[in-house]
Amino acid sequence: MKLGFNLDLARPSRRHWLGYLLLAPAVILIALIIVYPLLVSIDLSFQNVNIARLDQPRKPFTTANYERLFSSPDFWNATWVTLKLVVIVSFFCFLLGLGTALLVNNKFKGQALARLLVALPWAVPEVVAVVIFAWMFDSSFGLINWIFIKLGLIDTTVSWFSSPTAAFIVVCITMIWKGYPFVSIMMLAGLQSIPEDFYNAARVDGANAWQRLVNITIPSLMPVLGVTLVLVMLWVFRDFSIIYILTGGGPLKATQTLSIMTYEQAFSFFKMGYASAIGVVTLVVCVIASRLMIGRAPDTI
Amino acid sequence: MKTRSLNRIILYASVVAVCAFLVFPIYWLFITAISPPDQLRALPPKFWPDVPRWDVFAAIIRERPLLLWLSNSALAALGSVIISMAVSVLAGYSLSRFRVRGGQSLGLFILTAKMLPATLLVIPLFGIFRSVDLIGSLWSIILAHATLIIPFTTWMLKGYFDTIPRELEQAAMVDGCSPFGAMVRVILPVSAPGLAATALYGFVLSWSDYAYARTFLTNAQTNWTANLGITTMKGEYISNWADISAASILVALPVVVIYLFLERYLVGGLTAGAEK
Repeated sequence: MKLGFNLDLARPSRRHWLGYLLLAPAVILIALIIVYPLLVSIDLSFQNVNIARLDQPRKPFTTANYERLFSSPDFWNATWVTLKLVVIVSFFCFLLGLGTALLVNNKFKGQALARLLVALPWAVPEVVAVVIFAWMFDSSFGLINWIFIKLGLIDTTVSWFSSPTAAFIVVCITMIWKGYPFVSIMMLAGLQSIPEDFYNAARVDGANAWQRLVNITIPSLMPVLGVTLVLVMLWVFRDFSIIYILTGGGPLKATQTLSIMTYEQAFSFFKMGYASAIGVVTLVVCVIASRLMIGRAPDTI
Repeated sequence: MKTRSLNRIILYASVVAVCAFLVFPIYWLFITAISPPDQLRALPPKFWPDVPRWDVFAAIIRERPLLLWLSNSALAALGSVIISMAVSVLAGYSLSRFRVRGGQSLGLFILTAKMLPATLLVIPLFGIFRSVDLIGSLWSIILAHATLIIPFTTWMLKGYFDTIPRELEQAAMVDGCSPFGAMVRVILPVSAPGLAATALYGFVLSWSDYAYARTFLTNAQTNWTANLGITTMKGEYISNWADISAASILVALPVVVIYLFLERYLVGGLTAGAEK
């Protein structure tokens, strides 16, 4: 039925002034607090500035920051650390997250409680997660050292935060514990959208549990898997709080990611121009990587 | 029949194991908080203290400016949520209902803004806030947190408005409402649960921030947020883990409670716009 009124808001002709008016406050605020700072930081990255003062005249244009960046071993070290961290943390987040989701998706008594519990670390602030793991991995009285000695894995206490490898492992464990409940939450939602009929039909055809997992569950989860993977990788890539409070990027730059390096250059050494250059490179990598990955995933969840 | 009950046992055992692994660190935080300090230095560690110190929470509130820190965190979160919701309710509705020229590119830009590393944005914001003398003021993190919250809330709300049938507005307009009136009187009341969930999610984002508070507020002790306060306790020469743990529990409590309310809405919000 065709209505005589001009009421259908979805019609292409509905370029109503109200639509623009409603967007205006968001556009203005975003321009002020996101776009303008972003332009300032790009501008800073092409100047040789130490302390950012906007009321001082602009320094001359230079690409020195970027040249210095790409020839600096610290930058390549940070890139390598970031890459290792992203791969390791995302891999275990997925393994554990998917496993947990499949487990909790079974029907059993107390399922609601279990679902709530497995996602709990997601809600714990990163600072608190760091407190927990810093204390559990404490070198003198930490629980982990005691358990490992009891199990015979180590002979004497390990000072986790003074060895480069050990510190890196602690960072990984903290991030996995904090990050994988998110994967579980997303996977559980994905699992619940798979029609029960698929499984019934497969059972009738005699498919066993493994075949059902590989041929129904995993393919149906693919779209959610793709998006979740991108979100987890972006989180690890950009995370600052966990590493900064846990290790500060040390020892010997073993846990210094690009984010930590950016912050340290800016606020420990006050090389704002150089730090901005690192930050801009980080952003460009994030945007390109996520476009490539999301672009390939189907566009529905 | 026998294999079925065996399967049940395996299922329950694995569920218990997974939950224990996930929840144990939280349990250990709690045990650390209520243990007397000398027991924390005892080996083997005690998994339940002989004499639990239940008054540790009252003690820490007396000895440290924890209430001040918590109220600063709450003020900052409230401020940034109010600002963010005010603009993103309108923008989300517009993106959901109107075909505005440039609307799509704006939506895409907002999505990209989710990827901005805080460590990049914190540098120009520091310069800007310095020149307008906001460093050390709570306003600095209120505005900085809005940069975190707006991209999320705008997309969450657009997604939520998309699920509300357009017939509602049409009916209201047939009855004589203006388009704006239809939004305010009909759509917003219907969306109340979605608005509340979105606002709570924004609250959690702001409450959990550390990077901005560390940068803008370090030299303004009276404006420290709870997260910043805890990390300074951790940085002291001798870390008093019982106190730090007790403070951490008080800081985590509000967001954990919010999470319990939010769980149902969580997934829709987290994925909103992610597929674009």
